[in-house]
Amino acid sequence: MIELIFIIFFGSSICVSQEDLFSYIDDIETPSLAVQGTFKATRIVNAQSVEMARKNTLEFIIFHRFGSMRNGFYDLYGLDEASVRFDLSYGINEKFSLGFGRSSFMKTYDLFYKIKLLSQKSKKRFSLASVVLFSKVEIAMINKNEKFNNRLVYDAQLLIARKINQSISIQIMPTVIHKNSIQWHEIYNRLYSMGIGGRAKVTKRVSLNVDTFFPLGERVGSYNQSWGFGCDIETGGHVFQLLLTNAQGTYESSYIEKSRGGSDMFFGFNITRSFSI
Amino acid sequence: MKQIIIVFVFLGPLFSNGIYFTRSGFVSFFSTTPIEDIKAKNNQVTCVLDTETGKTSFRIPIRGFVFPNGLMQEHFNENYLESEKYPNALFNGSINNWKEIAITNQPQEVSISGEMTIHGVTNFIKETGVIYKNNNKVNGNATFRIQLEDYDVKIPKILIKNIAESVEIKMNLELKKK
Repeated sequence: MIELIFIIFFGSSICVSQEDLFSYIDDIETPSLAVQGTFKATRIVNAQSVEMARKNTLEFIIFHRFGSMRNGFYDLYGLDEASVRFDLSYGINEKFSLGFGRSSFMKTYDLFYKIKLLSQKSKKRFSLASVVLFSKVEIAMINKNEKFNNRLVYDAQLLIARKINQSISIQIMPTVIHKNSIQWHEIYNRLYSMGIGGRAKVTKRVSLNVDTFFPLGERVGSYNQSWGFGCDIETGGHVFQLLLTNAQGTYESSYIEKSRGGSDMFFGFNITRSFSI
Repeated sequence: MKQIIIVFVFLGPLFSNGIYFTRSGFVSFFSTTPIEDIKAKNNQVTCVLDTETGKTSFRIPIRGFVFPNGLMQEHFNENYLESEKYPNALFNGSINNWKEIAITNQPQEVSISGEMTIHGVTNFIKETGVIYKNNNKVNGNATFRIQLEDYDVKIPKILIKNIAESVEIKMNLELKKK
């Protein structure tokens, strides 16, 4: 009788293993990996995304915003004008990248970093989102006789993104902007807002993106809520982002707080190129 | 008595120790065109060999491929191999004429055939490799080529000059006794 039990017991286990050799050795679970490709580029449209320059990679972005479309055919829907930004960032490691940029809008220089605080994981059930801290200091050089301290603007954002599936990703961005000096008509140095953005892939290499920032707290009368619609096209080494937005500036305090209203809209594009170093 | 014999028959495969395996086998791939060389390495190959029957299987986690360029690595996973959908490449097959092969310290050429599944597409393949013993470990090396088209890995027109239609696969496996 005991023998019979043995037979049943071992017999059944052998049947399984003969089908698949892996069952001889498989006893560990496959590891849970960080989700990648939440967005194609480090910007959604205007807003920063949770993507950052990869380790030992220099990422170069050219931002271009044409002039306002308000004048119509006269200046070919703004194509005669340009606002440009150069942006270089470098991935020190997987979790930390540093960068600087120069925008023609207000002749502004800036320094920034991104720190990955959390990565969304593929297998973990409660791994909801990737979280990146983004922080920047901007130095506007437009006024020649300004004191250095008065030129400074600080931004800090928490970028919280979830890749819901292969196609759709969403991101929220609690944001604070601190201006060292303000204009006579402005009230607060410190401005809070909540950004929301997302993307939906149309094909493997093309996605549609959108982002906007809702103001938290009071704003001056000339304030307009910023928005951007974009289309990412990925071609191997480059990401092209074609976009339409109501902001001509391409750094945080400009597109969040200095967007335009009415028929002032801008065509633009961002081109991202990565160099392995 | 009969029952005892039956028990031993069943226990036989379990304790035969004919199973050799590794979880850290090496595989690399190499694509070369006049414009660009693309290569990646992976040290996470699981391979099992049953030395009783000559049957062998291996499993390659696609996310385990490390590229010198992180962007390429992401595109490899996202756009080409779709590793979220198809996390592993699999092979199930056997070493041909196993009964006539005695593994020695000298590398000898063997032929391996079976079903290879990459990117969710299964093809029958037959390739050659070498096998030898070294300090009670069974070593197997193989170099072969695969056609991307066979596994439904599509190259966009714009990159057709950057990515070769067939890539070279190299495998080095050192299997220890279970």
